[in-house]
Amino acid sequence: MSFDISIKIAGQAGQGIQSIAEILLKVLKLNGLHVFAYQDYMSRVRGGHNFMQVRISDSPVYSIKEDCNILVALDTNSVDVHRNEVPKGGAIIYDPHSTMVDSPDNRFIPIPMNNLAKEAGSPVLSNTISAGSILALLDIDKMDAEEFIKKQFAKKGEEVIGKNLKALAKGYAYFLENFRNWKFTDIKAQKKNKTILINGSEAVGFGAIAGGCQFIAAYPMSPSTGVFTYITGKAKEFNIISEQAEDEIAAINMALGASFAGARAMTTTSGGGLSLMAEGLSLAGVMEAPVVVVNAQRPGPATGLATRTGQEDLEYVLHIGHGEFPRFIFAPGHHEEAFFTTIHAFNLSDKYQVPAFILIDQYFADTYATEKEFDLNKVKAISYQPSVVSTPYLRYKITKDGVSPRAYPMQGDFTFIADSHEHTENGHITEDGEVRNKMVEKRFRKLKGMQKEFGKPTYYGDKLVPSGSEKGKAKTVFITWGSNYGVVRETVDCLKKQKRSVAMLHFNRIYPFPRKEAVSLLKGAKEIITVENNYQGQFGNILKAETGIEADRKILKYDGRPFTVEYILKRI
Amino acid sequence: MENTNPFHYEGELSWCPGCGDFQILKSVEKTLTSLNKKPSEVVLVSGIGQAAKLPHYIHANGFNGLHGRALPPAFGIKAFNRDLTVLVTTGDGDCYGEGGNHLIHAIRRNIDITVIVHNNQVYGLTKGQASPTSEVGMVTKTQPYGVVSLPFNPIAFAIAMDTPFVARSYSKEIDFTAELIRQGVETKGFALIDILQPCVSFNKINTYQWYSQRVYKLDNTYDPTNRVKAFEKSLEWGDKIPIGVIYRSQRQTYDETLDRLGIKPQINPAHNLIQRGSSQGVMCGVNTLPDLSKVKSLLSEF
Ligand SMILES: Cc1ncc(C[n+]2csc(CCOP(=O)(O)OP(=O)(O)O)c2C)c(N)n1
Ligand code: SF4
Ligand SMILES: [Mg+2]
Repeated sequence: MSFDISIKIAGQAGQGIQSIAEILLKVLKLNGLHVFAYQDYMSRVRGGHNFMQVRISDSPVYSIKEDCNILVALDTNSVDVHRNEVPKGGAIIYDPHSTMVDSPDNRFIPIPMNNLAKEAGSPVLSNTISAGSILALLDIDKMDAEEFIKKQFAKKGEEVIGKNLKALAKGYAYFLENFRNWKFTDIKAQKKNKTILINGSEAVGFGAIAGGCQFIAAYPMSPSTGVFTYITGKAKEFNIISEQAEDEIAAINMALGASFAGARAMTTTSGGGLSLMAEGLSLAGVMEAPVVVVNAQRPGPATGLATRTGQEDLEYVLHIGHGEFPRFIFAPGHHEEAFFTTIHAFNLSDKYQVPAFILIDQYFADTYATEKEFDLNKVKAISYQPSVVSTPYLRYKITKDGVSPRAYPMQGDFTFIADSHEHTENGHITEDGEVRNKMVEKRFRKLKGMQKEFGKPTYYGDKLVPSGSEKGKAKTVFITWGSNYGVVRETVDCLKKQKRSVAMLHFNRIYPFPRKEAVSLLKGAKEIITVENNYQGQFGNILKAETGIEADRKILKYDGRPFTVEYILKRI
Repeated sequence: MENTNPFHYEGELSWCPGCGDFQILKSVEKTLTSLNKKPSEVVLVSGIGQAAKLPHYIHANGFNGLHGRALPPAFGIKAFNRDLTVLVTTGDGDCYGEGGNHLIHAIRRNIDITVIVHNNQVYGLTKGQASPTSEVGMVTKTQPYGVVSLPFNPIAFAIAMDTPFVARSYSKEIDFTAELIRQGVETKGFALIDILQPCVSFNKINTYQWYSQRVYKLDNTYDPTNRVKAFEKSLEWGDKIPIGVIYRSQRQTYDETLDRLGIKPQINPAHNLIQRGSSQGVMCGVNTLPDLSKVKSLLSEF
């Protein structure tokens, strides 16, 4: 890593933080640089204090930093809040006409963004001015930004494109003319790197489409709305039925109806909405209806922190829905994993006729990262169908592996009933104790097959010697799940540089719990530390229940903000 | 004599002897037989309640879901496979109480389904508590001082929502009801048929005698396309209760909306006819990957 720079763009909701970040991220990506960007925003549309953190490097980056090298402050409050995060040699860009600064030192770079914007044709162009100045400061050619602007505003016409190009050039030139000697760092473009820039919501949504999703019903709720929006935006192109339901109860039940009719169906939600879906999920359990449920977590209880992050729904998802039934639970660690996990979730939900949950969170959903281009040749979307059905067709036939033949209406001249009551092999209501036992046991027999499927934990760090030998094994193993993959991975990198013997074990599939793998990978570890965004150490509890292994230490965070490497290091 | 009706179900029915639900079952069977459809092309969707058991008593496909939640799955089924004829059989509690919100929005979407409400003005299955349509003053174990809330008027509500087909019937009128259901099925869009159904075990007010004395059939001097007149008619309740088609209108259906947008629900490539055999076949994988070149073009947007 020859450079590692963090930029914070801070201001009020509605001031255009995102427009600045968008140009910046795209241009950095086009230059083959690796970026990781996180938005910290309040639950409001105007005002307040929001910021976007962008980390840039020539090697892959997986988390955000607490401090920043460059601060772009769009209002006075942002200067006050963040000026101490910028070390000597860093830069604070601000507009001297609209932002009050007490005793500016040599980090401060005044750029009259508003005035320049007016000169370029309109005050709304000040975001493009900022982008121009930042690019000049980073010493990045503005050609890619010009291309981006032409594409971005293509629909708005020549005039808008022209004004934005002019603004970009003005911001760029102003910086060079006034701060020519200001040398920041050596950023080298790496044009040969072929990456994509994608956020977590898009990665899951794209995975759903590639996985053959044909039906989505959902009710808007932050931070899950991004997945719903992405898929809906492509609905026409991919012939997906997308419906905004009247509530989450309707959403899950619509998806189950579509699933009954043969669709690959899904829904997306967050905590409160998930609670409303509980009964419907139980219905999926007894009807053995495939359905994919994306739960983007926010801190609770109740409305909690609507736009903040947390990992508090794990134990809930493990048990949600009354009664007992098997399920898949996945919690991908990075965007590429989320893309493929979503496809697997569709396939496995279909194969075993169980609901499959994908747990993400606000941090994951809203984080942009560059990733190597997904290998689409690896994508397999597979549905499972019986080749022959008997007369009468027994939808819930008792089988050895627990999986019964699932066909759809009109696939032949047969009929069948899907029932929320306990039912016989042909789907009719029953109260017979023996049949009941057989059905429960049939449903749970699936677990044996499910256990062998996709979703082994990822081990990262000091080399693993599998066959019982403890030599060369990490002394300290961090255990984490879901979105904390990146920050824990970087913590491991950091400690390894200090010659510490460390590793990370990251769990994507949480149910069925990969017990064997967990036990063998943790054998010999001297110290086990769990890292989770919740108060109770929920994953640690599951680990203990499933394997008997208890973590020596728990690093927990529940303030609604994501972990940083600095935060973890301070606690070990 | 053997029943040769393909929709006829031979098996035990768990309703109380004399229940109006038997009559509605007969009407539904009659309608289905008249439609020129095969049982495999029909789905009956229901929630939970006495009424909601009906899908088990007809030889067709069935989705017997959760209490109050018949309409959302019916939407999912019909939206994805419009070749299916979808009927919902539900109760006054199921449809107007627990699932009331879904009724508003299912009508707004104008999904092409027929909803048959067995309106016995009581909760039958849970043994006689008041329902949203119970009359003020009705005494039950959970309303020992009598119902005080105003009964819900499904007909007036449906007219306000501009529902394409709104009708009321009386379960005893089996042929009349069957004909109304048939018209409901043939209507493009949402059809609501509220059927007055005596519950002999728990509703001691609205009995066969009570209904028989009051209901009268609308004749052809009544014009169901006049919305204001229909609304007036919907308020008629008491000594005289009109049955028949009370309101009709026309509005773009959900299917038509999808057509207009050019969205063609993709019945799985696996949707080919499955053979019938003496034993159950094994499950095999079928490719459901969308057009890879289109997926690639999505990747290039990132
Ligand atoms: C979530 C939920 N709440 C309550 C019940 C219990 N329950 C079952 S049916 C019913 C009322 C049925 O009334 P109605 O829909 O009028 O049907 P009827 O039995 O009168 O035909 C109730 C309260 C349930 N099954 N599920
Ligand atoms: S309780 Fe009432 S509605 Fe239920 S079956 Fe008996 S008579 Fe019919
Ligand atoms: Mg009732």
